[in-house]
Amino acid sequence: MAPQPDLVVVGAGHAGCEAALGAARMGARVVVVTLRRDTVAQMPCNPAMGGIGKGHLMAEIDALGGVQAWAADRAGLQFRVLNRSRGAAVWGPRVQCDKARYSLLMLRLLERARNISLIEGEAVGLIGGGGRIEGLRLGDGRRVTGRAVLLTTGTFLGGLLHTGDERRDGGRFGEPASHGLGRDLAGLGLELRRYKTGTPPRLHRDSLDYARLREQRGDESPLPFSWRTREVRNRVSCWVTRTPPLVRTIVNENLDRSPLYSGRIAGTGPRYCPSIEDKVVRFPDHEEHTVFLEPEGLTTPSVYVNGLSTSLPRDVQERIVHAVPGLERACFLRHGYAVEYDVVAAVQVGRTLRVRGLDNLYLAGQVLGTSGYEEAAAQGLLAGVNAILEGRSREPLCLGREEAYIGVLIDDLITRDHREPYRMMTSRAEHRLLLGVDSARERLMARGVALGLVPERAFHVERRRWKARDRVAAALESERVNSDNETAAALLDLAGVDLRRATTWAALLRRPDLEAGAVAARIPGLAELSDEDRSVVVSRLRYAGYLERHQRERERVRRLRARRIPETLLAGGAPGLSREVAELLAHHQPATLADAEQLPGMTPAAMAILAGRVASEGRKTGAGGDPGG
Amino acid sequence: MASSSALSFDLAGGADTIVALATPAGHGALAVVRLSGADTLKIATGLCPGLDPTASWKAQLTQVQCGDGLPDERAVAIVYEGPRSYTGEDMLEITVHGSPALTQAVIGACVGLGCRPARPGEFTRRAVANGKMDVAQAEGVAELIAAETAWQLRVAQTQVRGELSARVAAARRLLIGLLARIEGELDLAAQGVAAGAGELAAERGKALAEVEGLLATSRAGERIRDGLRLVILGAPNSGKSTLFNRLLRRQRAIVSAHPGTTRDVLEAEVEIGGVRVVLADTAGLRESPDKVEQEGVRRAEAAAATADAIVLLHDATVSVSPPAGWDPGGRPWLGVLTKTDLVAGVVAGDEEWVAASLLTGDGWGAFEERLHALVSQEIGETDGAVAVNRRHAVGLAAARDELLAVRFGEPEVAAECVRAAIQHLGEVIGDVSSDEVLDAVFARFCVGK
Repeated sequence: MAPQPDLVVVGAGHAGCEAALGAARMGARVVVVTLRRDTVAQMPCNPAMGGIGKGHLMAEIDALGGVQAWAADRAGLQFRVLNRSRGAAVWGPRVQCDKARYSLLMLRLLERARNISLIEGEAVGLIGGGGRIEGLRLGDGRRVTGRAVLLTTGTFLGGLLHTGDERRDGGRFGEPASHGLGRDLAGLGLELRRYKTGTPPRLHRDSLDYARLREQRGDESPLPFSWRTREVRNRVSCWVTRTPPLVRTIVNENLDRSPLYSGRIAGTGPRYCPSIEDKVVRFPDHEEHTVFLEPEGLTTPSVYVNGLSTSLPRDVQERIVHAVPGLERACFLRHGYAVEYDVVAAVQVGRTLRVRGLDNLYLAGQVLGTSGYEEAAAQGLLAGVNAILEGRSREPLCLGREEAYIGVLIDDLITRDHREPYRMMTSRAEHRLLLGVDSARERLMARGVALGLVPERAFHVERRRWKARDRVAAALESERVNSDNETAAALLDLAGVDLRRATTWAALLRRPDLEAGAVAARIPGLAELSDEDRSVVVSRLRYAGYLERHQRERERVRRLRARRIPETLLAGGAPGLSREVAELLAHHQPATLADAEQLPGMTPAAMAILAGRVASEGRKTGAGGDPGG
Repeated sequence: MASSSALSFDLAGGADTIVALATPAGHGALAVVRLSGADTLKIATGLCPGLDPTASWKAQLTQVQCGDGLPDERAVAIVYEGPRSYTGEDMLEITVHGSPALTQAVIGACVGLGCRPARPGEFTRRAVANGKMDVAQAEGVAELIAAETAWQLRVAQTQVRGELSARVAAARRLLIGLLARIEGELDLAAQGVAAGAGELAAERGKALAEVEGLLATSRAGERIRDGLRLVILGAPNSGKSTLFNRLLRRQRAIVSAHPGTTRDVLEAEVEIGGVRVVLADTAGLRESPDKVEQEGVRRAEAAAATADAIVLLHDATVSVSPPAGWDPGGRPWLGVLTKTDLVAGVVAGDEEWVAASLLTGDGWGAFEERLHALVSQEIGETDGAVAVNRRHAVGLAAARDELLAVRFGEPEVAAECVRAAIQHLGEVIGDVSSDEVLDAVFARFCVGK
């Protein structure tokens, strides 16, 4: 009999694929259950990946050894770094992909992986009890068992599709919803909520009037997303237009026919990806809204209408679209729709994305209430890796919010009770300046190597690059500007800077009124670096004071997290802690705060009290309480 | 990880019921013993059998069982049922005769019934923990209790009422809104949501103006709380000691001991124009006959260096018009031509000078008027009796510096600065993340407060 799989993954979307491929590369045996082979790693909404916030997640997934960024590079049609003119901490690399190619790439990866079995089927229930899940029941009667189970069911649980007055069962356009699993999850005592998300219409590319649209091209010299990719090329342009005031009128007149506003959809929608109905209602004085037209692939005529997410009836959608300059005669390949689905309230999972109270059930992706391919992939990677690590009784992969956007994502999910779809934005990170895409590899690549997901060789190549960058930065701090030389004279011209007062290059670059970008290319040391590296060095120079502040805070959080919990606290509890939590502590005897956090039944409020207690006990005894070593 | 909710729990000191004497130690007609905590009502009925623990906010005549073989003592007790109480917890205040032995016995009885002696400031600390007041208001309570002059009282009352807190909170809200817009621009630029740079700068300007307005009161705050140092200068025999003594008799002396700063100078505290004034008489520099006059001059100059304001006396019998060319070293000052009873035709002439006889009292009215005006001026602006203390000023100044550093062209850095400013302002009113700061604030309180 074949040995039991280490991990069974339900769903082969972005979360499922990262989990399966990550686990497989760690040597685990993985079974992936998906409704259909040909809908693996679909991009049901925006054809683009990355951007601000999401791009940060992608860079981190890549640094850890995940595959999303690599696949996006290979399927990429247009590459742009948003906020490129700003500091490195807020760069948002974005790549628009050929959806069909992306999906095919991921399917091939799954099929080629030696220890992944891909099964087509519908998971209709969980098998197990007594704190453990044994496996799944499939619709055709088969049973799939494994040491651990990861559900990445996306929007399929109890999915309902809405277009105007029409309502049908479905997890996604053209695909049926899943019902049994949701019932079993509720049966395990998990709280489910209802969310909604929408998607815009798709138009035929040949029916657009390009003369009336503004072209938007990719970056001049596009940068690859992944360290695995050598180079990339732009292949398509996007097009921009604006909705006229007439659209506002049409929407307002038809709000009662919108499932959201007519109350037919109970679910809560994402605040930051609003439908056109939302936008018109919430920004009533905005006369126009920007619309981006994005080709969905080289072999498809489908164009995605970014900015017109909606579930209004078909006829209303047509009137809206035809009112927009450039889209007067647009043909609809597909109308926009909304999907309503069940999510599991994420506060019920722990930092490893394992369901609290169960030994081996994990959840990741949109099913936990996030929205976006990148958010899903990040969770998938983390959950898959942790399912294997915990199965091997090894230290799990936990990232703090001071270390990575993935840390911010997980922490937000499990400690803050969100009531609407969660999307990553840089404002969620207190340590934004430390967490730019420029530092993702420095922060995380070593972990990827330790996990076996990143080859050492690649790590060393990258490391050489950072070291070169750091050497240049250090030199800038110590070398004084030579006011005799030619460069200095040129600088005077360029920046109107008076160099009579001797100063270091770094001090010069920090001057608030200086256009650092223009000057930097002429400075020895910086001139030899690539454009990207040069910008990174300059950004970090200018952030210096703030970076120090953040690093101190990061250290403080790390030390606090590693604090030992005094035995007296474990035995006697602390005022304010519920009896359940006190019993939990006494029973499990967690050594550090980090360990305590993992305990099933541990609540954010209890953690806060515990942390405060440990901190004040520490002050009284004067001990740092750090674990030995 | 340690949030303010955790700290507030720490502030509360857990679930102990505390007891302390709320009135000053020593003998008095009455003394008040105060209890607060979860077990208060239970302990109250144990301490005063027959007391109705449900009669909240009602004075009850009752008997206190002091234990230790002592007879029961009559007392008036008031039960305050939480959260309608000073601390927000259940409280009891018992008024008894002001005998140290008696209050000791009552407190001992409470401890026997399960109370713990309160730490300094613990009642007010619990009030803050339970949201009855914020840290700035708590500081106001301490200042109210310590107030000796009219201005100290006024400022403390304003602070307890929460007026300072309200203004800081308003500025903080402005900044939170500003931060949201900066963040919005950063995160949603791709979707075409942008705030105009002009709007952002205007918001920042409003908050900055409020912060700077509050900061401008810090000089007044310092003077009011720490006192204005008024030094009396003049040649020997110009009447310094006479003036010193006369001010002491005429103005309200402040009796509580505040140690003087130099032993060469005779000092006393009085209240002038509602302001605490430290009077320094350099006549204490007794020029003994064999001392060189220069030494006296030097000491006088040293004394003048510590002055916030100066009264310069000139003997009119030496010369009828005021001496010219005296340099007050940048200090505000007032000149008095003395001994006008001995000389005719004295004209003050100058704006800084008045003419008076300290002996007869002639011209004293005019002098007092000018003195009050000088003191008022030196307090400066209090902006409706809001005057920030040193701790506030540090936080406000830090917030101001962050706001001045904001450059909207670099929004990720601007967001950092605004975030830091928000935090500094929060610390002024009590979103204090540092326990050391909290400890410092509450250590100023006495036990029982």
